[in-house]
Amino acid sequence: MTSMLQLRDLKKHYPILGGVFKRRVASVRAVDGVSLDVEKGECFGLVGESGCGKTTLGKTVLRLLRPDAGSIFFDVPRDLVREIDELRQKNPRSRRLRRLREQYDVATYRGRDLQLLRRKMQIVYQDPTTSLDPRMLVKDVIGEPLVAQGIAKGEEAKKLVMEILERVGMSDRALFRFPHEFSGGQRQRIAIARALVSRPDFVILDEPTSAVDVSVRAQLLNLFTDLQKEFGLTYMFISHDLSIVECISHRVAIMYLGKIVEYSSTDEIFHNPLHPYSQALIASVPIPDPTRRKERAPLSGEVPSPVNPPLGCRFHPRCPLAMDICKKKEPELLDAGKEHYVACFAVIQPSGS
Amino acid sequence: MNLKERWQEFKTGLRPRIAEWRFMLKRLRKSYLAMTGIAIILFFVGVAILAPVLAPPHGDPMMIPKDYDIETLRTQEPTPPTIRHIFGTIDSQYDLYYACIWGTITAFRIGLLVVVVSLVIGLLVGILAAFYGGLLDEALMRFTDIIIAFPGLILAMALVLAFPTTVPLSVSNVLLAVSIISMLILLAFKPDRRLLLVNMLVLIFSVVSVLYSPIVFDLALQRLDKVLIAITIVGWPGYARLIRGEVLRVKNEDYIEASRASGSTDSRIIMKHILPNSIYPVLIVATLDIGSIVLTAAALSFIGIGAPDGYADWGQVISKAQLWMNGPGEIIKNFHTFFIPGLFIALFVVGWNLLGDALRDVLDPQLRRR
Amino acid sequence: MAQRNIVEVQDLEVKFYTYSGVVEALDGVNIFIKEGEILGLVGETGCGKSVTSLSIMKLVPPPGRIEGGRIILSGGPKRQDILTMGDDSIRLMRGKDISMIFQEPRAYLNPVYTVENQISEVMYVHRKNELLEKSITSLQKKLMEKRKPRSEEQRAKFEKQKAELEKRKGAEEHKAKLGEPEADLEEKAAGIPSNYEIRIYKRMLRARSRTSRLIAGFFSRFIRKRQLTAEARKEVVRILKSVEIPDPERVAGMYPHELSGGMAQRVVIAMALTCNPTLLIADEPTTNLDVTVQAQILNLIRMLKKNIGSSILYITHDLGVVAQSCDRVAVMYAGNVIETADVFETFSSPLHPYTRALLESIPRPGEPFKSIPGMVPSLINPLKGCRFHDRCSYAMEVCQNVKPAFMEVKKGHYVSCHLYGGSK
Repeated sequence: MTSMLQLRDLKKHYPILGGVFKRRVASVRAVDGVSLDVEKGECFGLVGESGCGKTTLGKTVLRLLRPDAGSIFFDVPRDLVREIDELRQKNPRSRRLRRLREQYDVATYRGRDLQLLRRKMQIVYQDPTTSLDPRMLVKDVIGEPLVAQGIAKGEEAKKLVMEILERVGMSDRALFRFPHEFSGGQRQRIAIARALVSRPDFVILDEPTSAVDVSVRAQLLNLFTDLQKEFGLTYMFISHDLSIVECISHRVAIMYLGKIVEYSSTDEIFHNPLHPYSQALIASVPIPDPTRRKERAPLSGEVPSPVNPPLGCRFHPRCPLAMDICKKKEPELLDAGKEHYVACFAVIQPSGS
Repeated sequence: MNLKERWQEFKTGLRPRIAEWRFMLKRLRKSYLAMTGIAIILFFVGVAILAPVLAPPHGDPMMIPKDYDIETLRTQEPTPPTIRHIFGTIDSQYDLYYACIWGTITAFRIGLLVVVVSLVIGLLVGILAAFYGGLLDEALMRFTDIIIAFPGLILAMALVLAFPTTVPLSVSNVLLAVSIISMLILLAFKPDRRLLLVNMLVLIFSVVSVLYSPIVFDLALQRLDKVLIAITIVGWPGYARLIRGEVLRVKNEDYIEASRASGSTDSRIIMKHILPNSIYPVLIVATLDIGSIVLTAAALSFIGIGAPDGYADWGQVISKAQLWMNGPGEIIKNFHTFFIPGLFIALFVVGWNLLGDALRDVLDPQLRRR
Repeated sequence: MAQRNIVEVQDLEVKFYTYSGVVEALDGVNIFIKEGEILGLVGETGCGKSVTSLSIMKLVPPPGRIEGGRIILSGGPKRQDILTMGDDSIRLMRGKDISMIFQEPRAYLNPVYTVENQISEVMYVHRKNELLEKSITSLQKKLMEKRKPRSEEQRAKFEKQKAELEKRKGAEEHKAKLGEPEADLEEKAAGIPSNYEIRIYKRMLRARSRTSRLIAGFFSRFIRKRQLTAEARKEVVRILKSVEIPDPERVAGMYPHELSGGMAQRVVIAMALTCNPTLLIADEPTTNLDVTVQAQILNLIRMLKKNIGSSILYITHDLGVVAQSCDRVAVMYAGNVIETADVFETFSSPLHPYTRALLESIPRPGEPFKSIPGMVPSLINPLKGCRFHDRCSYAMEVCQNVKPAFMEVKKGHYVSCHLYGGSK
């Protein structure tokens, strides 16, 4: 399979300004070194709790936020990325590296290049009420990407808008209405239509079903799967709801405090979680079966603040398997077999096992 | 798509907006205060439009006619209402009725001009400051604070007194000023190089022409213009602060970011998303201001800095009335000289206030509904 | 082993009179909660769960009005219909006999007051007398400690006074009389000391009528009620410990914005449990929390139910949460309770088609997502007959015309559906 998105050591920090001169006294390390690969045509699930940085990661990939470090390679052939990886390790100052990065690394784009990128990468937000301008008619809301990027105007734009509206399951009469006249599920469909009208290749779905009723959720999820097949889309599905992610994703990554702690295929993650955090997370999901009740909460304590993450492995204060080395060194994401990547010293010894 | 289809499309697009307006009008109709306010304003509008009919002018319409007959008979004293002068006359036998009717036009002129211009300036400053933030925000807001720090009325007075009656203008000076301002705006918007280059050329050209070939002509500030300019300068900071607050709120909404994700440029986001969503509170304040600005202008005229002598302006007329307040008897005798124009002013201000309140009642729950 | 019903809601009708029309929010709701159990109230958005809970506390906001039915509370030995009670009596019940916790904890904590302030506020409203008594006796004890006995004889007298104080502290009649002037004289005779602060507290205790309370309160503002706040603080720390908050002394002095979501929810639970209420209403308390914190809070709620013995009305739309923590389940749809049963019954043999559809819509890996066709109906002009019939796959002719009655089909299992003979 070809690769759609490749992240290398992506970082995004928010400065905390303090003092009289508003200097940067600390940083919220929202995304602190994330590397992963998303294949074309798959649905990649990104799971984590609040404060882990998954939404920040999604927005940074889309360049709605400026990354502080790292690279984003979008639709770049694998060998080129490999070359860049090697160059970075061997000769980080080479001119070729810089030129390659300027050409292919989305993190360095600005201006016109960024504009062209918007056609291919889109996002569907969590809350359809706030993500649609309340004073714009539905047809303008959906047509905005076409006009803003100069893809189509007037009659042609109208045709594209009507096409996509029908495809997400809404009638033509919605065109001349305001978003607030619709229910939550329908508004989310309008948001989906807006994201897809420019026929992107990659869509980030940021908790698209959290703000919607349970009965509508299934309809939207089915719509996502259908659209993915029909348009050949690649999804990054960000969610904190593990049961949905289990059903819709091909591969899943679990984030904690700005870093990815485990990622692999959905089957592997949910049936054989290796990282203690993943195990606790999956065990915490309430099972809708009253005969299987847990006596104790699987994980105690709270997520620490991303301003001062713990030294070494970020999870060690809450980890039942914490060892000495966990307090000093940060574990790397390594393959534990069958393309199941974990970042944990208890699972993979530093010497490799 | 031919014209007919385009028109059809436009009409369909308008329908939901019309439905909204109709909903708002229905709520407006329910409130007595709102209807009263609207009625008052409509009355004044009618008076203003029909002014030539109601009080036919002699010569310069904006100057109140004197009644020379009575003046020669009994010189200066104001006379109470008679058939000949429906509202009576004021000092120097100016016809009060005429003054009040044509004063309506002046009131509208003052109110609307000042509000519109200061609104535009305030919006520009406020939106740029709030949207771009950082140093630009700090600089613009400090500048605004400086102007707010001065007591408004007194600053207006000082400005009126300080403005020369004729301002020497030259095309090159204007060009210089305009190009400097547009340079600043362009730098803020970060456009592509070509626009910047063009502006730079214009700037250089205007500097050169200022030094070498001034084409001067004099702009005479007529009558009320000084007052208008002064009140505008004093008035725009209020709008700037107001819109800045709203833009800061709207800026962080999801749909702005979604629009950016759709590829919109900054200017598009400002014009199509931020402006329509943030302007309602400002509009409400602006309608209220129309009334109060007329009061400010009247105050300035009352002090004597304002409309020239004999100009048809309510404030002018009242200021003349004070000459004849020498004792209780005089006050009662010349009661009409201040009461009637005062009534006009009060009614005008009340009308706009009620309208502003009505707008706020109608628009706010509408906004809440969303 | 018949547990008695703490709360019985019978045929509750609530209507909202809005600009767009009359919303028939609740259309004859029947719920009963037994002593010491957790009842899960399940339903989608707009089905009326929150309105039901607000009605039980008689906090339905205008333009809503409770139009009919009865809500019977059996807090003490008495059974009262709260819909007939006056506003003052209900106000006394809120926070003491029934308390409520909400979905977004930080929105329901006042951001300008510390945690300690807010919990003690609840205590001052309902348990003031208890706190005052405690303060008085502690202060008396402290004053006695301060006196240093010099001679042997004085020491003996001192010990006798202390013993007397101890005896009085425990004695019920003394407590009852603490507010009376006679008690003062007795104490003086026994040599128990008093000072300005004690006198103010006694005055506050003694105040029965509204005016005397106002006067006592007015005077109490001029002294620093050190002992009272200290007693309140001790109680606050104790309560915070009982909801498993680490380092409770430090947390007591924190402001709501300094707390994380899970901590804030624990604080709110602590506030709700200050007065050991008979009924705790929890309106989606864990919906906004992370899944690991949710597991902790669910555990906490289960533990508290065991320790304190309150009944809990747990409102949620998450069936997993219901399965993990509730004893019985009531399912609501469009303003009606359509099924009530024991939790094991509900999940193993659901009777109502809506319940069945809800259970089927739980996402399962490998299968496509199943949803319920149609949309939640608008309650402004609700359908005649059964409100679910337009989305029901088992709908019959009678469902369109006659509303099914809420009947007990199996032991403890109530359904409102014509499939099970809902027509009276």
